[in-house]
Amino acid sequence: MPRFFSNKRLIILLVGVIVLVALIAFSLRDRDHSNLPEQVVKDVVGFGQSMFTKPAHFVTGIIENIDTMLNTYEENKRLKERLDAYAATQAELVDVKSDNVKLREIVNKLDDLRAYEPIQSTVISRNPDQWEDKLIVDKGTTDGVEVNMAVITSQGLIGKVVLSNPFTSTVELLSTENINFRVAAMIAGEEEIFGLIEGFDRQSRQLIMKRIDSSFDVKKGMQVTSSGLGGIFPKGILIGEITEVSTDDYGLTKLAYIRPAANFSMLDHVMIAKRSSTIVDGTDGGSSADTEGDDES
Amino acid sequence: MTRFVIPLIAVVLFFLEPIFSLFSPIEQNGELFVFVPRFLIVYLIFIAAYYSRQRAILYGLILGLLYDMYHIDIIGLYTFMYPLICYLSTLVIRQIQRHTLTVMVLSLVMIVLLEILSYFFASVIALTSIDFNEFLTSRLVPTVIANSIFIVMFGWTFKQITLKRFSQKQAGF
Repeated sequence: MPRFFSNKRLIILLVGVIVLVALIAFSLRDRDHSNLPEQVVKDVVGFGQSMFTKPAHFVTGIIENIDTMLNTYEENKRLKERLDAYAATQAELVDVKSDNVKLREIVNKLDDLRAYEPIQSTVISRNPDQWEDKLIVDKGTTDGVEVNMAVITSQGLIGKVVLSNPFTSTVELLSTENINFRVAAMIAGEEEIFGLIEGFDRQSRQLIMKRIDSSFDVKKGMQVTSSGLGGIFPKGILIGEITEVSTDDYGLTKLAYIRPAANFSMLDHVMIAKRSSTIVDGTDGGSSADTEGDDES
Repeated sequence: MTRFVIPLIAVVLFFLEPIFSLFSPIEQNGELFVFVPRFLIVYLIFIAAYYSRQRAILYGLILGLLYDMYHIDIIGLYTFMYPLICYLSTLVIRQIQRHTLTVMVLSLVMIVLLEILSYFFASVIALTSIDFNEFLTSRLVPTVIANSIFIVMFGWTFKQITLKRFSQKQAGF
């Protein structure tokens, strides 16, 4: 039986471990910003990655198309039933929208929290060791993407940008375990009820909305959207539907469980919402400022 | 020609891993199964077994560094783990017969080791809060199953390629 480690190898191993610990400590300290070498690596690898991912999306797209074609008859029947109602709603929506613009002009308030410019982007990779729910998309600061912007699909909110490089950016999904991930949210109803989405319950795959004033009547089935008061997210992006209401640990405020409207797996195309009105570093972005102190503990 | 094929396959596998992780997590009967593609390390173990230990460790070091910088944003995890796994597998290979099947089994064992190491790191840095039992059922088992399919499909090809390169090198090409 040969000796497991000779002296020379032991030294190499020890030096390796020391370098490793130093590197990890160095890079953990500041994960929200990337320095120049990191940016270059991210953009170059990201470019190579998109070479592989885009054909893959094309193939999965074809398979999906075939899959939907098989259900066409059933779907068509159902859609036809809904079409009549849709036309009426559409006409009303156009009317209401133009009305809204006119009224805004009258009160001289042209800034709208709801307005945003969608930046279309393709998901080029998902963190392969899936300890963190992160995606990398193919749009970066050159396309106007900035840290903390909301990332949405047609179904609803999925996450926010945590890191932006010139040509790629990293998106953290709502299903993250990061406790500093907050979204200023609102329960739509006759009166607007505000709260914060903090945390994700992994067992039931539901988001947890906290700090809801207990004087409000929150019911199961209500829709939750982003409130736009966090400073960065636009208002009115659908987040999900309430499934359960309870009180928080101290009994002072209410707590709601929300089933997310968007699906977090099999993402290919996402939109990054660039808010048209002024961006303030509030709750939505506040988390990034907080993490610096909390991460090390 | 084969000279470039060896690193080229490593790079291709490096880029293929995140594509396969786009399909994960998979929801089955209300339970979530995460499978982690570990294609690159399988290939590196085949290089270590049939071609050259130094090369395997070198590729592990470079691609591990890229992996850390691109995906994880913590430099040092895979930069350390990939070469370590390559080194450990060469230690084992010296003791056993270099049959395709044994190398396949060895790479599966090494994937398990890599997963446990990465779980250990992730829980130390507080990236995850799942307990070991849940890690076993929701992550380790699906990962091993998915990767064993990959190993069965490509193990023999990897062996042929790496052996071919090795014999070329022996001939002094």
